[in-house]
Amino acid sequence: MRSRFVTTLFERIRSDVPAMQWFLRGLTGLLIIALLVIPLIPFQQQALWVRVIGYTGLYIVLGLGLNVILGFGGLLHLGFVTFYAIGAYTYAILASDLFGYHLSFWVVLPLAATLAAFTGILLGIPVLRTRGDYLAIITLGFGEITRILITNLRSLTKGSQGIIGIDDPVLFGVTFDSGTHYYYLIFAFAIFVIFITTRLSNSRVGRAWNAMREDEDVARMTGINTGHYKLLAFAVGGFIGGLAGVIFAAWQGSIFPDNFNLFVSINVLCLIIIGGVGSIPGVIVGALALIALPDILRQFSEYRLLIFGLLLVIMMILRPAGFLPSKRLQIELGQAREDPPPDNAASTTGGKAS
Amino acid sequence: MSINWPVFADQLINGLTVGSFYALIALGYTMVYGVLLMINFAHSEIFMVGAYSGLFTMNRLAEMGLYETSPALAILLTFLGGAIGAALTGVTLERLAYRPLRKATRLAPLISAIGASFFLQELVRLLPTIGKAVMGIRLGGQSLFPVNWQQSIIKLMDDFGGSKVKIYPGIMTTAGFDIGDIHVRYSQVVILVSSLLIMAALYLLVRYTRLGKAMRAVAEDKEAAALMGIDINQIISRTFLIGSMLAGVAGVMMGMYYLQIRTTMGFVPGIKAFTAAVLGGIGNIPGAMLGGYVLGLAEAIGLQFLPAVYKDVVAFGILVLILIFKPTGILGEVVAQKKL
Repeated sequence: MRSRFVTTLFERIRSDVPAMQWFLRGLTGLLIIALLVIPLIPFQQQALWVRVIGYTGLYIVLGLGLNVILGFGGLLHLGFVTFYAIGAYTYAILASDLFGYHLSFWVVLPLAATLAAFTGILLGIPVLRTRGDYLAIITLGFGEITRILITNLRSLTKGSQGIIGIDDPVLFGVTFDSGTHYYYLIFAFAIFVIFITTRLSNSRVGRAWNAMREDEDVARMTGINTGHYKLLAFAVGGFIGGLAGVIFAAWQGSIFPDNFNLFVSINVLCLIIIGGVGSIPGVIVGALALIALPDILRQFSEYRLLIFGLLLVIMMILRPAGFLPSKRLQIELGQAREDPPPDNAASTTGGKAS
Repeated sequence: MSINWPVFADQLINGLTVGSFYALIALGYTMVYGVLLMINFAHSEIFMVGAYSGLFTMNRLAEMGLYETSPALAILLTFLGGAIGAALTGVTLERLAYRPLRKATRLAPLISAIGASFFLQELVRLLPTIGKAVMGIRLGGQSLFPVNWQQSIIKLMDDFGGSKVKIYPGIMTTAGFDIGDIHVRYSQVVILVSSLLIMAALYLLVRYTRLGKAMRAVAEDKEAAALMGIDINQIISRTFLIGSMLAGVAGVMMGMYYLQIRTTMGFVPGIKAFTAAVLGGIGNIPGAMLGGYVLGLAEAIGLQFLPAVYKDVVAFGILVLILIFKPTGILGEVVAQKKL
């Protein structure tokens, strides 16, 4: 099981050479081990690194969620923060002193994520017929409405005062009360979501999404219920966004409407684009580039947002497909001449999934 | 729920004023969408730069004493300053951030625009810091610029941008005239009338001049227009020029009306103006004007039924409803469905 997503992780880099493949697998293994031991070995500024890597992991989860909607489904969603906010606020309301409910993290987690998934479907139904840029602007509107609602529904969310004193999760009698605990929690969730989305992308559903993204009309004519698959993409993406929200709320211990502004959506979108739309390793690289780097640079420079904006523009001009573009997308767009011809690739994918 | 008529009328007049801003900004969105089929996400920042350039011009003119000697000319020059600042930004943006991406996927220009939007906001915010840093550069003991220039350059950059809220001098007062219980400010009349005049001029330009004809041809079919000998790049550049100037004028007006400007001021008017453009039918110039006023009035009416904090929800709600039920907008032509 594990080797499957590792393979997909590096599908792009000459996976036809066995030695290369083993090298990359070894590298991935080392990286995972390194990530696992970072909180255990003391070094300078360890707390900062644990926090930054944890934060990056959270954004990897968010990125993978939006990647389902944008990369797999081809739906440009600019209001992804809605799902994140729903996850976070559901947990904060059900597990804090605010109303005196102290439900378990492990009960609220699926509940909140399901709620976010339903929101995805509910908001998805009216926009089924809109495409491209219009969808982007509508969903941008949804994101802003979310922020305005959580700022102003004071009886439920306490508005800009925020919800404080959110419970820590407890697992096997261990209370998650340190950065290291959350580091491992986020790490586990990131692996889980990487696994789920990799499996999804290689499944029948994933191929239906591919068809829909490439040509909606043709997909519909070949018998794919595009409405159904669009809603599914919103639901899965929403679910993952909700998960990230719950973890965020538990980690921070207090949440405020400002945590859920437009920049969350924009950041998640940009990290996907920089990594390569539709590519799961791309999301990881993008999160490292966008979240970890500015966070590390934070102490050095007040020019970071300026440079960030400039880099986005330059990136689009020089490498619009991202650092690690999805191999399947490349094949479909006929950009990769050296890769096996499309029919060959399609049959391999089909063989794997069945 | 009883309606307080004088208050309601006051809000409607305010709605018309704000609608003028929306309409002027919406024109930029709609014109760019017309020729390039892209949403210029950074248009709200062009508008912001316009407001800052206007204030900068205004301060220079006030130093020269022009506001005392001939206020009308000074105000006109202020607007011109705002328009030029915005136009330079818009044209540069198109040249550097959008033109290289004209053949890319549909996502690329959008991301580029988001990046440019961040860049412009931060540039204006950090201008004084950058100015000090550049002036501090020493080459072999020699500074880059003559010492007596340094202070004035730093001062000018400080005057242009910065992270603090900037205050427009109160040129537009609350003075006005009364119709019954309703107070109408002169400034509101001036904004409404001058906006309508500018839009009429734009309409005539697009309808009757060679440039307008070429713009419409490019919007219709780029290849065919090129075959007819139209310089596509030039026309697209001029479209950005005109759209940005309108946004710059709107920025100056808004600064004078609300008295405060900040680097993040563009976002909300930007997205509302986009709503207005969609409302009227994106790509359609009279549609954007109509959409701006309809949206301004709709917000004023919405204030009757909802608390003021939900004002922005009204605009977004309208946007969602329009896109779901009538995506071509009020005056929209049928634009071919486009994909990512």
